[in-house]
Amino acid sequence: MKVRFFCLGFTLVWLAVGCAGIHGLNLWPMPKSVSHGGQTLYMSKDFGLRYEGSNYTDASGILKDGFARLLDGVEADHVADYNSTHFDHSVLLQGLNVIISSFNDQLQFGVDESYKLSIAATGNPRYVYLEAQTVYGALHGLQTFSQLCHFDFTTRMVEVHQIPFTIIDTPRFSYRGLLIDTARHYQSLPMIKNVIDAMAYSKLNVLHWHIVDSQSFPLEIPSYPKLWNGAFSPSERYTMADAAEIVQYAQRRGINVLAEIDVPGHALSWGTGYPSLWPSRDCQQPLDVSNEFTFKVIDGILSDFRKVFEFRFVHLGGDEVNTSCWSTTAHVNKWLREHHLNESEAYQYFVLRAQNIALSHGYEIVNWEETFNNFGSKLSPKTVVHNWLGRGVAQQVVGKGLRCIVSNQDKWYLDHLDTTWQDFYMNEPLTNITYPTQQKLVIGGEVCMWGEHVDGSDLEQTIWPRAAAAAERLWTPYENLATDPKKVTGRLAHFRCLLNQRGIAAAPLAGPGRVAPDEPGSCYKQ
Amino acid sequence: MSNEFPISASISLGFLCILCASFGVLVEGRILGLKSNSDLDDSLVYLWPLPSQLSHGNTTISVDPHLSLEVGGKGGDSSIVREAFQRYRDIIFKHSSRGNAVYDITNIKIIVESDNETLHLGVDESYSLYVAKQDGLSILGDATIEANTVYGALRGLETFSQLCSFDYGTKSVEVHKAPWSIQDEPRFVFRGLLLDTSRHYLPISVIKQVIESMSYVKLNVLHWHIIDEESFPLEIPSYPNLWKGAYSKWERYTVEDALEIVEFAKMRGINVMAEIDVPGHGASWGAGYPDLWPSPTCQEPLDVSKNFTFEVISSILTDMRNIFPFELFHLGGDEVNTDCWSSTPHVKQWLQMHNMTGKDAYQYFVLRAQAIAVTKNLTPVNWEETFNTFQENLHPQTVVHNWLGPGVCPRAVEKGFRCIYSNQGVWYLDHLDIPWEGFYNSEPLEGIDDASAQKLVLGGEVCMWGETADASDVQQTIWPRAAAAAERLWSRREVTPTENIRVTVLPRLLYFRCLLNRREIPAAPVKNELARRPPAHFGSCYEQ
Repeated sequence: MKVRFFCLGFTLVWLAVGCAGIHGLNLWPMPKSVSHGGQTLYMSKDFGLRYEGSNYTDASGILKDGFARLLDGVEADHVADYNSTHFDHSVLLQGLNVIISSFNDQLQFGVDESYKLSIAATGNPRYVYLEAQTVYGALHGLQTFSQLCHFDFTTRMVEVHQIPFTIIDTPRFSYRGLLIDTARHYQSLPMIKNVIDAMAYSKLNVLHWHIVDSQSFPLEIPSYPKLWNGAFSPSERYTMADAAEIVQYAQRRGINVLAEIDVPGHALSWGTGYPSLWPSRDCQQPLDVSNEFTFKVIDGILSDFRKVFEFRFVHLGGDEVNTSCWSTTAHVNKWLREHHLNESEAYQYFVLRAQNIALSHGYEIVNWEETFNNFGSKLSPKTVVHNWLGRGVAQQVVGKGLRCIVSNQDKWYLDHLDTTWQDFYMNEPLTNITYPTQQKLVIGGEVCMWGEHVDGSDLEQTIWPRAAAAAERLWTPYENLATDPKKVTGRLAHFRCLLNQRGIAAAPLAGPGRVAPDEPGSCYKQ
Repeated sequence: MSNEFPISASISLGFLCILCASFGVLVEGRILGLKSNSDLDDSLVYLWPLPSQLSHGNTTISVDPHLSLEVGGKGGDSSIVREAFQRYRDIIFKHSSRGNAVYDITNIKIIVESDNETLHLGVDESYSLYVAKQDGLSILGDATIEANTVYGALRGLETFSQLCSFDYGTKSVEVHKAPWSIQDEPRFVFRGLLLDTSRHYLPISVIKQVIESMSYVKLNVLHWHIIDEESFPLEIPSYPNLWKGAYSKWERYTVEDALEIVEFAKMRGINVMAEIDVPGHGASWGAGYPDLWPSPTCQEPLDVSKNFTFEVISSILTDMRNIFPFELFHLGGDEVNTDCWSSTPHVKQWLQMHNMTGKDAYQYFVLRAQAIAVTKNLTPVNWEETFNTFQENLHPQTVVHNWLGPGVCPRAVEKGFRCIYSNQGVWYLDHLDIPWEGFYNSEPLEGIDDASAQKLVLGGEVCMWGETADASDVQQTIWPRAAAAAERLWSRREVTPTENIRVTVLPRLLYFRCLLNRREIPAAPVKNELARRPPAHFGSCYEQ
């Protein structure tokens, strides 16, 4: 840790490397750079939002809403009941001045998420300054600021310590994802929104919504309205309006929604409404490759998706395809022979045809790694390969010039309860990838919350705090990351307690995933 | 089983005309040939807890997403009613409805007789609820709740919200089996849930969520076990060093926080019963005032020999009286090991001077604390050891809080004391191996046949001790099992089935657990053998 001293009437401590956590600043994820002093200011009761010098006018209210959430987060927990007349106004922070240079608030992939947050050593009235290229960078700045605010039980005020400070921050990866699975268990809308809220707290930015799988089809597809007959029950469903609400809710927090249909291998539930999608009633998976209707349905789904899921990418799955039903079902077998395809060629044919349909709707494609492992050179160059089986895949993918998302299951699968937060923290997406051009092809990583054993009762504690450990890996510059996770334990414990205060049921750090605390004690020590 | 229940066919006369009207439209979902409503047994009434009396028809009516509120009676125009209506509107209309439809129910009328909003023990919580399609022939159209107090109206709103469900076919909120006529009132006046914020601090947001979910099952007392030997999180203005016993500077409640929790609970018809557990569970008090310990090496029970101990108790009760208006106050008194008293020289000397054994001193302590409470107009509640040990020496107003085992309430009421039932073998939520049936089948009046003696049983309480429950798992440890007890405490004995509950009760509890999940409460699967365990495999919420 480099420590330099400046004489500005205060002592400023510059931390070029913040891996161990900056003393007194329990920020998660750790920003790119932080410099700070040691003064304390108090949040004024009418702490307000000001746009002086900003190009962005916030017509959609994204920033205003984010600011309101900030105030809720720092004040609602406790009643700030001080009497401000007792205070010298020079120690009161009057508000937050946001300066955003871009007019545009389209949430594109790769949108500029950087920000600069600062409070000067002097000034009257005192303001927090938040500068960003886009409103989404500013939202991250608000999250960071919220973590700098502390309710003090003696003064009954919200305090901001270590002033003056300047925080300069930008994400390491542009894709920082979390998968939820609403096919193995339905998750209610408020539960999904809670997950999105907590993602915003940890600066994750892609909700990978594995909507549909073999077990159930909860989403309404207007083009093929019987598809959601595959829902577990009439009430375990999402209307398209629900989906649009989720997308909008996420967007307003700077989070994109990556929708997935996992074809052809994980689609048994599709046949509940349209049995002809099955090879036969006795052999229901993968989707019938020989039936033109199969591709019409995929086209219909993606066409409906396009109206709601505005993200650049759609996930087409493609994993765990056992093609034996195709050979054993007479009419599919006949079709294979007519087209001179063996099973694995038919698998390739299916995936590539689905890719083309997605491309025709303006999507770029994400596919699970088996598609790359089996016929990588045939995939559309617009494919992003989604690693999951093991380590070393990203290296091969970028070597072939394709983009990659890292989710190796041994470290980043949240349903693996024996994978500890330390494992999540230490998993490095760029392992063995040294060329900068290849490094750029790794667009980021994603932690996966598969839902076989996760319903509304245990979703949050299985995700958090372990997903947060990965979130720092994906956000914070490599140089600032701890090489020994022990050094961040206290800071992550602090973030876990912050999640608890905000109503997110993050589990204790000690032990495996979603473990109960084993004895009485402080949140900050468990 | 009484004549009134369950009444699938007996429709009160006032509704016959409505039944005659045509309700011929099949909902779209049925036409699509969906699985029946997750194989729901249609003969059951999916309300939790079951109302006292009800009758219903067999038609489906729709509810306007812009449902409006009309109030009447002296107490109708109350912020408690209006805010509750807003909450329930948010709950009922979580999904966007299809526009431009004509709805059967556009208005809910809430008539409250009294404008007295004092929330005391035994406040009238009864209500009547009518839900019927508005047409020219009926007197009562739309939805109507009639209650004597605002708290009865709250219970009625909860029941109404459970009658409403979003139909994904028609994309509107519907009430099935209408018209409905429900008359309801609680079986017991005290229907409690204990939260322990000493073994683990619970953030205010979590406490509020627990209170909110209590209102869904019509529980009405939050027993706040604020303090114990592990930590002292509450601010006591008279003795400001006491909350030095908090785990950390952040794991604390200010007086204003506690007031806000009390107010939040009151808006939901829930009283907060505070507890200081003396003298046995007070080690954390000494972090701020070491004089309260017999000695730094022997810290518990509180030092019986010092007047200072009782001065602190008296001041705590004064401070708490300003926060907690509920007339019942819990003074603990359980698990007192008096060894420290006999082994610490100055306390031992005091015992000898006063000619007391450890047990005598224990009684002296409890009775003195009771007397302090009574002078402050508080009714003492004490854990059963105090009754088991001192019997009728306790203050006659004492409410005995059972926990060790069965048979205590019968003995307490025989001596004329009131009693709260919390038998740990069936109603301790931290006992993860007690399944929902254990909670459901237990009976607070077991062994008490005399009607006047039965009246002394105020009710019961399920206890969520916090040794292994923090913000991450407290709610799934509470729910759905606390709901099973809540039905026992709310619903008349005659309307709750005793036979074959896996058929007569389980489907309703499964349904209610999913309702909790839909309302953001992480209630755990019902069928697991151990509480708060994850679902064993994929599947529908309604089957797990």
